[in-house]
Amino acid sequence: MNPGSPFHRLSRLPQPPVSRREFLWRSGGGLGGVALAGLLASDRLLAAGNPSRHPAPVFRPKAKRVIQLFMGGAASHLDLFDYKPELVKRDGQKSDFGEHVEAFQDGLGPWMKPVWDFHPHGQCGKPLSEVVADLGAVADEMAFVHNLVGQTGVHSQATYLQATGFQLPGFPGVGCWASYGLGSENENLPAFVVLPDHRGFASNGPKNWDSAFLPPQHAGTVVQLGRPNPIADLFPARGGKYVTPASESEAHALMAALNHGHAASRADDARLDARIRSYELAARMQLAAPEVLDISREPNHILDLYGIDSSTRTWPAEINAAEEMDAFGRKCLVARRLVERGVRYVQIWSGNDNGFPRRNWDSHEDIRRDHGPLARGFARGASALIRDLRQRGLLEDTVILWTTEFGRMPSSQGGKGRDHNPYVFTNWMAGGGIRGGTTVGESDEWGYKPRDRNKPTTVHDIHATLLHLLGFDHEKLTFRHNGIDRRLTDVSGEVIRGLLA
Amino acid sequence: MKASPISNPVRAAWRRVVLGLAACLVPSTLGTAAEGPKDPLWSVAPLVRPAVPPSSRPNPIDAFVDARLAREGLQAAPEADRATLVRRLSFDLGGLPPTPEEVDAFVRDTDPLAYERLVDRLLASPRHGERWARHWLDVVHFGESHGYDKDKPRPNAWPYRDYVIRAFNEDRPWARFIQEQVAGDVLFPGTRDGIEGLGFIAAGPWDFIGHAEVPESKIDGQVARHLDRDDMVGNTVQSFDSLTVQCAQCHNHKFDPISQEDYYALQAVFAAVDRTDFKYDLDPAVAGRRAALAKRRSDARKRGAELAAAIAARAGEPLKEAEKSVAAAEKQAPGSEAAGYHTQIEPRADVAKWVQVDLGKPVALSRIVLHPCHDDFNGIGDGFGFPVRYKIEVSDDPGFAAGTTVVVDRTAADVPNPRVAAVEAACGGRTARHVRVTATRLVARQNDYIFALAELEALDASGANAARGGAVTALDSIEAGPRWQTKNLTDGWYPGVRGDGLDLAAAKRKRDGLLAAATRDDERAEQARIERELADVTAAEALLPAQRVAYVGAVHHGSGAFVGTGSKGGQPRLIRILDRGNVQKPGREVGPGALHALAFEPARFAIDPAAGEGARRAALARWLSDPRNPLTWRSAVNRVWQYHFGRGIVETPNDFGHMGMRPTHPELLDWLAVEFRDNGQSLKRLHRLMVTSAAYRRSTRGDAAAERMDSDNRLLWRQNRRKLEAEAVRDSILMVAGRLDLRMGGPSFQDFVVEKPEHSPHYEYHLHDPEDPASQRRSVYRFIVRSQPQPFLSVMDCADPSMLVGRRNESVSPLQALALLNNALVLSMSRHWAERLEALPGTVESRLDRAGLEALGRPLSAEERVSLSAYARRHGMPNACRVLFNLNEFAFVD
Repeated sequence: MNPGSPFHRLSRLPQPPVSRREFLWRSGGGLGGVALAGLLASDRLLAAGNPSRHPAPVFRPKAKRVIQLFMGGAASHLDLFDYKPELVKRDGQKSDFGEHVEAFQDGLGPWMKPVWDFHPHGQCGKPLSEVVADLGAVADEMAFVHNLVGQTGVHSQATYLQATGFQLPGFPGVGCWASYGLGSENENLPAFVVLPDHRGFASNGPKNWDSAFLPPQHAGTVVQLGRPNPIADLFPARGGKYVTPASESEAHALMAALNHGHAASRADDARLDARIRSYELAARMQLAAPEVLDISREPNHILDLYGIDSSTRTWPAEINAAEEMDAFGRKCLVARRLVERGVRYVQIWSGNDNGFPRRNWDSHEDIRRDHGPLARGFARGASALIRDLRQRGLLEDTVILWTTEFGRMPSSQGGKGRDHNPYVFTNWMAGGGIRGGTTVGESDEWGYKPRDRNKPTTVHDIHATLLHLLGFDHEKLTFRHNGIDRRLTDVSGEVIRGLLA
Repeated sequence: MKASPISNPVRAAWRRVVLGLAACLVPSTLGTAAEGPKDPLWSVAPLVRPAVPPSSRPNPIDAFVDARLAREGLQAAPEADRATLVRRLSFDLGGLPPTPEEVDAFVRDTDPLAYERLVDRLLASPRHGERWARHWLDVVHFGESHGYDKDKPRPNAWPYRDYVIRAFNEDRPWARFIQEQVAGDVLFPGTRDGIEGLGFIAAGPWDFIGHAEVPESKIDGQVARHLDRDDMVGNTVQSFDSLTVQCAQCHNHKFDPISQEDYYALQAVFAAVDRTDFKYDLDPAVAGRRAALAKRRSDARKRGAELAAAIAARAGEPLKEAEKSVAAAEKQAPGSEAAGYHTQIEPRADVAKWVQVDLGKPVALSRIVLHPCHDDFNGIGDGFGFPVRYKIEVSDDPGFAAGTTVVVDRTAADVPNPRVAAVEAACGGRTARHVRVTATRLVARQNDYIFALAELEALDASGANAARGGAVTALDSIEAGPRWQTKNLTDGWYPGVRGDGLDLAAAKRKRDGLLAAATRDDERAEQARIERELADVTAAEALLPAQRVAYVGAVHHGSGAFVGTGSKGGQPRLIRILDRGNVQKPGREVGPGALHALAFEPARFAIDPAAGEGARRAALARWLSDPRNPLTWRSAVNRVWQYHFGRGIVETPNDFGHMGMRPTHPELLDWLAVEFRDNGQSLKRLHRLMVTSAAYRRSTRGDAAAERMDSDNRLLWRQNRRKLEAEAVRDSILMVAGRLDLRMGGPSFQDFVVEKPEHSPHYEYHLHDPEDPASQRRSVYRFIVRSQPQPFLSVMDCADPSMLVGRRNESVSPLQALALLNNALVLSMSRHWAERLEALPGTVESRLDRAGLEALGRPLSAEERVSLSAYARRHGMPNACRVLFNLNEFAFVD
């Protein structure tokens, strides 16, 4: 080699790939069954075989799995969790923030008190809104963060930020990172399952749980409860009447035989074996998925606990609490069944897009009308979920995370609604490794901005904490993409110690 | 300066984050970035043609590759057999499997140049451009919806996709290919490709709400526009020059020689443009005539405005008062948010839909007046939803079963769209309580059909509207309030309504009187001349051929929150260095430029300030396509190599920086780059060079000794077996089933059903019927939705249009298996294939022989024939076809 060439620093043989994991993944050369990472039990081997990349888990994990409840459209901290007596006192008075406020729309009307009264709950005495009173039974399990700040009042960017850590598309969902780090506990089910609102997707749709540059196995798998095929293509589509149980089992045997014949002379290509195995796993998923999604054998007291009403399948046209309880409760119950069987991350969505009639939390017009049924619905399901996990001994290593896009303004919009408030909002967590009955970080007297504006909490702090509970140093769980070592927390994030048990 | 909404102390939490883009991290534990940032970057070193090592091989590629193999003592694999080669070439160059006849012809061809002729034939086929366009569309993250919230479709994005296909089929020289995409309008004025190529700038995602609903004056609006330019800069530099310039947004690049100022200089290049629907004429002569007419209009308007100003000045204070009264009266009109009544959406036009108004009591009617809607959906605008055929009936029976009079019957022939002009029907004093409009042929909306109406008025002899506020019922309604709901039909609001009250008319009379009194006769005559001139211009424009529309990066002439720079004559926005990428911390202003690390030109462009924004893009286009820009040529040949060999000479095609991989064959890379640059920049020549090499033609078979030394085959002792990309799988399934429609170009087919389009449309793939022949085209013509990717192709790793995909993921998963087993497309195509096979003469065995040739490019073995035919006899041919589609061999290419 010409020593003057710019390549003279090259070693004799090509250098090892940037990321062995990435390289192995993409090239498929000599990889073996790990090509099925995320769905194969052997995924752990991959992480272990790459210790420089994943000294994981770094800490002793407090939790093994996560259930995230995501309120699409931006749920009001003021009317649910963050009690502001000052607003009750000043209700109806002209709002004065003491500074110029850039509202998303024009929601800077008079101060507006919480639409529902607050009462203390649990030994911790946490005041909760009447509309989420069902959560009172588990108030001592919950830890609140009332000083979260966003970066924007634009729904889409805010949803991306909370769902992926970045406010633009192209980044993996938080569940993808969990799956990437933890792998799967049950190869017959996906590691990351998403239960969208049954009426449709929230802002950004499936991009919120897309694997982006992470290996695609880590993408959230959508489960649409109530559809004939709750998981896309789980069973033959309408046009496949010619597929019968007999034809199917024989087809699998025939494919295996033909594929083994093909692979015999290509023994060095592990992808071929991996693909043969993927068909075996697919067949097993066809058995496992319907079983986990079938709640019909759950006892009545459990169905009642979750607010599931099996007596009716028709609901009024107007949004109503019974329907919301039923819909959200079903998802919570299925989430419990999923984590019981080893699914790592379940994301449950409440609310679809920001259109009309409102079926999400974007209550510019009327908090009572939309937040009422939605809050009663999610609170019943979430409370049941926490209690049910607790009674089964699962709560101690399952994290519950309640998230939304941003908060809503303490001033009214049009008398009954509230505008966007990206300046402060609430998250709460419960379960594995969380110190229940606590509040970390407060908002100011109005719930307009953090009380201490110099020490707000960001989504990256929440994500760092979540990864910490799962046993990861958020700065070390990285993946190189287009020349950058990407991580869920971008370049910031601190573990919120006060939340930890 | 307004106070910030998120005050600085709060923002301080984001001190190291700001835009969520800052993650350019030190690779703490990896130790794989071989060099620190101070080392020279290999990829920016000038290109020098290396000497070709001595070799007995005719193809210089082999001289380089073999020399390296010899040095390492590696034995190259033998050439693959001919059936393997024809399948490999067919997929690589055209993206489709060879037909059994093509395999047979090539296997039997004894011409020593048979291989070369096959290559030439495949390169000449239009399928080639379609195949390689898909690769390029991955790189530039082309999509046909915005992404983000309100993921609206881009109905006019497809011309860029067709441009890329055309450019590859016509073997466009690479420099020109670059120039057309960055500044084609400036560098090749009057050409179609000079416009349609600009779709490159607009290819990526766009935040509808951040632009269309938040003005640039707000911080959220500034953030959205900053992110928008960031996307354009990243797309340009990564696609053409393989550097991760976006890392320099918050600070100088940590590893590569890219300064923060370079980054904002690149933003300045795109400072005037937005993503926008651009109208243009294919014929330059027509474009010239249109421009001349536009000039006449603007001249006439200017004269009119001057005249009006003079008259207003003369009329003085009283006129100002009168104007205020008019404005106040206009404000009282109900808001335009209530657009009208809108039926459910239908997949076909010939569906009858009715809507009716209850007048409350029988009324003697003189006229029925229909007011059409205005909606910009799909660029329709005026006359949105007005039916193509319809009738109006009146009756006292709400069921219209008895005593019905047809007032107007337009059901026999299509009616021209009235735009927003009122449509009136005389009733001759007929008395009735109910008025019903029935559309008997709906109007096209996108690829579906609707009926919509803004207002129905039922006027009595006095001219009073008896329908106002009347109860509305309909066969169905989309009911998406406040914009679309039945009650809007009688709310008094429709496009062009001037308010309800008489106040407005009075106010206007007063104003007009004042104006008239202040106007001199000569001015009046001049005004009339101007009116005539404007009418003449409009009439002449109407005679010109319709303009085409393409979604491109260009100066946007908008209104509302999304103004663009059109109103300022395309003047670029000021670009300042943003501290930490924070729009609230603007620093020094930066002019247009490129990267200082490439020293062949000054890093800041010397542009005449009067030259217009296009000069900035033209300068960048020239800089990118300059023969002295080493990144451009290395990047291009490396991308082509990757698609032929499964891995680039540089394994990170989008990152030639310190964090990327080094080339495995640096001299070969440079030789190819120079060869490509200096010999017509012909991609087809480059393809020919690569695929005729012995390295390309090698077998994929393993070799224990070689695997021990180079298990990853980085030195190319064999060819890499490749897994078919999602599109190739889908296209092959359609082709083998005999259903592939090879029609080229035009609007994309949609393999989803759109529901609830008002906000963020719901793209429902599971409702699509794969039997729809419109969707049986090649996958490159698929309508690409960003927020809701096509599930079947996504699970098979197709590119995400929100990311710059230089190289796709390749995965194997149970979900993939389920998709190939159970997706409606596979099931229906298995059946079609089976029907075709069963129509052939012969036996089950002979039909399956044919199937094997079609799907796998080879005859079945005796054993395979026995087991497949036994299966087909027991479970039918469709099941056997489904098994073939699911085989490993179908999904991999040796």
